[in-house]
Amino acid sequence: MSSESSKKRKPKVIRSDGAPAEGKRTRSDTEQEGKYYSEEAEVDLRDPGRDYELYKYTCQELQRLMAEIQDLKSRGGKDAQAVEIEDRRIQSCVHFMTLKKLNRLAHIRLKKGRDQTHEAKQKVDAYHLQLQNLLYEVMHLQKEITKCLEFKSKHEEIDLVSLEEFYKEAPPDISKAEVTMGDPHQQTLARLDWELEQRKRLAEKYRECLSNKEKILKEIEVKKEYLSSLQPRLNSIMQASLPVQEYLFMPFDQAHKQYETARHLPPPLYVLFVQATAYGQACAHRKSSQPPRQDKMLSVAIEGSVDEAKALFKPPEDSQDDESDSDAEEEQTTKRRRPTLGVQLDDKRKEMLKRHPLSVLLDLKCKDDSVLHLTFYYLMNLNIMTVKARVTTATELITPISAGDLLSPDSVLSCLYPGDHGKKTPNPANQYQFDKVGILTLRDYVLDLGHPYLWVQKLGGLHFPKEQPQHTVITDHSLSASHMETTMKLLKTRVQSRLALHKQFASLAKLQAAVVLNPGYSSIPPIFQLCLNWKGEKTNNNDDNIRAMESEVNVCYKELCGPRPGHQLLTNQLQRLCVLLDVYLETESHDDSVEGPKEFPQEKMCLRLFRGPSRIKPFKYNHPQGFFSHR
Amino acid sequence: MERAAQQAVPLGQMEVFQALQRLHMTIFSQSVSPCGKFLAAGNNYGQIAIFRYPCPCSPLSMSSGSWPSGGLMPPSSDTQAPLPFPFSLSAALSSEAKEESKKPMVTFQAHDGPVYSMVSTDRHLLSAGDGEVKAWLWAEILKKGCKELWRRQPPYRTSLEVPEINALLLVPKENLLILAGGDCQLHAMDLETGTFMWALRGHTDYIHCLALRERSPEVLSGGEDGAVRLWDLRTAKEVQTIEVYKHEECSRPHNGRWIGCLATDSDWMVCGGGPALTLWHLRSSTPTTVFPMRAPQKHVTFYQDLILSAGQGRCVNQWQLSGELKAQVPGSSPGLLSLSLNQQPAAPECKVLTAAGNSCRVDVFTNLGYRAFSLSF
Repeated sequence: MSSESSKKRKPKVIRSDGAPAEGKRTRSDTEQEGKYYSEEAEVDLRDPGRDYELYKYTCQELQRLMAEIQDLKSRGGKDAQAVEIEDRRIQSCVHFMTLKKLNRLAHIRLKKGRDQTHEAKQKVDAYHLQLQNLLYEVMHLQKEITKCLEFKSKHEEIDLVSLEEFYKEAPPDISKAEVTMGDPHQQTLARLDWELEQRKRLAEKYRECLSNKEKILKEIEVKKEYLSSLQPRLNSIMQASLPVQEYLFMPFDQAHKQYETARHLPPPLYVLFVQATAYGQACAHRKSSQPPRQDKMLSVAIEGSVDEAKALFKPPEDSQDDESDSDAEEEQTTKRRRPTLGVQLDDKRKEMLKRHPLSVLLDLKCKDDSVLHLTFYYLMNLNIMTVKARVTTATELITPISAGDLLSPDSVLSCLYPGDHGKKTPNPANQYQFDKVGILTLRDYVLDLGHPYLWVQKLGGLHFPKEQPQHTVITDHSLSASHMETTMKLLKTRVQSRLALHKQFASLAKLQAAVVLNPGYSSIPPIFQLCLNWKGEKTNNNDDNIRAMESEVNVCYKELCGPRPGHQLLTNQLQRLCVLLDVYLETESHDDSVEGPKEFPQEKMCLRLFRGPSRIKPFKYNHPQGFFSHR
Repeated sequence: MERAAQQAVPLGQMEVFQALQRLHMTIFSQSVSPCGKFLAAGNNYGQIAIFRYPCPCSPLSMSSGSWPSGGLMPPSSDTQAPLPFPFSLSAALSSEAKEESKKPMVTFQAHDGPVYSMVSTDRHLLSAGDGEVKAWLWAEILKKGCKELWRRQPPYRTSLEVPEINALLLVPKENLLILAGGDCQLHAMDLETGTFMWALRGHTDYIHCLALRERSPEVLSGGEDGAVRLWDLRTAKEVQTIEVYKHEECSRPHNGRWIGCLATDSDWMVCGGGPALTLWHLRSSTPTTVFPMRAPQKHVTFYQDLILSAGQGRCVNQWQLSGELKAQVPGSSPGLLSLSLNQQPAAPECKVLTAAGNSCRVDVFTNLGYRAFSLSF
């Protein structure tokens, strides 16, 4: 029934509009509530047991009725029964109604009960929740408390200095003894303060030390660099000291290098080198009483290629390795055309006359600053030494023609000792060698190889006895030493005497005259061209005075014709030339920078020495007065 | 020296003699005519030759400017063949150029001794040699038998030997001619009156060369004694002495100390000779540049921004003021004694350099770079 009533209510609600429905609903609700008796309220009033009894009774009635209906129906008869059935049906309908009601009531009761339970449950749940929350909070707080209780302040990790120390060391404004003594908290604070203070100081110190360390490291770096750069500087100082060494005449470097190279010299050259160096040093020391600026009289040097010298002594293994190659090469060469006999012989000769790649250079200084350069070579296969000579003078020598050969390298040293021409080889054994290769005499090669003087061999310690040929010759230092001094002296005197002779020749003033004679001589005068060799070569191209002299004899020939028919012209011209030469030489202006008397004292009388833009000398002779003047 | 020309000898000998003379001729001096078209050269025999500058001449200018002003067309000189007329530079340079174009128009005996120096005023040619100075009119000079206008001899102290006159200098502002030479003095002659006004003494040996410093009118003289002396013209006194040989940079004792050539550019002076050719700053008397030339120089001159010098040796040397040698142009004479630049404004087409010295030839350099050709006595 409740469902019907609710159904009823619902269609009403549905059919009508919203607002009025609500109003109606509320009105109907209130009307119905006013009119309708609430079954919910009724439930509270009725006793559920009784209702249950009622239910049971109703069900029983129904059953009975049903059974009666059934009976009636089964008996058959319609009319009477129909009324009874109807009656019973109506009763059963009422009973159904009751049942429905009871059902409704039961439902309502159930619902109520449920609601109540639900409410209670809800409450319980709420309390439960509260309980849980509180418990949780309690737990949380407990945890916090334990945490707090467990909390260890960092300050407890620090090893603070002990109390006594603290009170001793800390300054009073930190330690605050009066406060801290009583109060542990303050005390700890103070101690911590002190700790902080100390740490700050220490950190400061630490920084300082660090920066110091950096500085020192840098200094170390700089010094290291300095040291490492010292090496090249030392080298350069060594280099720079070379001139100082030279200045002080202590050429250590040079000497050292020389001794290095000297090791590669062949024995005779080595002997010569040693003896010459020794002699040179002895000479220098001998004059030690004089100021040390005296130059060395004798200086020794080694020239040549050390590598080649080293190559001469290549170990034989190399040659063994090459043997197979050389065999192959030989086979090849035999296939090719053999070189001609002459070429082969030439090669053999060259081989025989081969020089050692190193040579010793001796410079002998004479008093007038002229130097004799001697280069000593060693001919390996012939076992003799040769020398090449060269003379250089302090001032350039103007070589007069006749003095040309005086200082020529070929002849300057010949016959230093009597009979020592230096054209033959001193080693008798060489003769046999020469025969093999067809050299007649060494004379042909002397210009190229140098002169093999006997004294040269002696200087190198090579001793060749004249009687028997020896195949092995020992190089002897004592031989060299004994000859060194005499030979040097002889060389010096030779050079000086040759130079003096040369000078003599140079100082002679020579006038060369080229004469052209015409077939129509003496009407057509001979023409002269002059060249004066004196202090240089002077011709009419570079000396105005020569030109004037030529003009004097060529143009003014009329004066010189002499008595008619004038055949004496040529002799007169020549005589005039001699006079002119005299005038020229005597009137040569004296060079003030050179000391010493005039070479040609002035004997002729001249009014003026120079005249005119060309500065001509007085070449005109004034006859009766006897003096020279200009034209 | 006796006269060369008039002797009774056969013609062959004459030619030989002249050839010998030519061989031993030295041209000491040159001078350009005021119109710029002629060059006078004086040699050691006392002769003066007048050459014509071989310049392009158009027929139009022929009438007015081709001959010295006031002159008629001259007859050909007795020794030379007639000149082709007109002619041009290209003709002179061409292969068919006849020898005549390089010969002098006229040659005459001017002095007894060598003609050491010559200058030209605007109308006269003044030549000096053995002791006297002579003047010739340019207008008349091409005529045959030209005679000197006047001759003067400065008052010499000694009479034993006539001193030569090595240098002549014109001072146009004061109309003076200054002579210097063998008697170690500078004589000043007034050109109008011809009188010798004063003589400047100071040199101890004969004077080679003179130069004029225009701003403050001063004369520079260089001599055999090795000193360059500056004289003030107005006060006639020696103002400054520079003893060149005493300066180490330029002195060359083996050559001597004589000063052979001088040139000045008011503040600067270049001198040479025995000592090296040097550029001097006059006010401070210091040598600024020494030109590296071994041979003694006999003539030097400033030209534009170069210094030209010549002396012993064939070449005309061109120097930059810094001391660098710009060019060396060889000439035909083995030694040169005189350089002449034709800078006359009247004849710009004849602007050439001529050089002469120890030969009978005058080299003409139309372009400073090379010798175009030579005129010959």
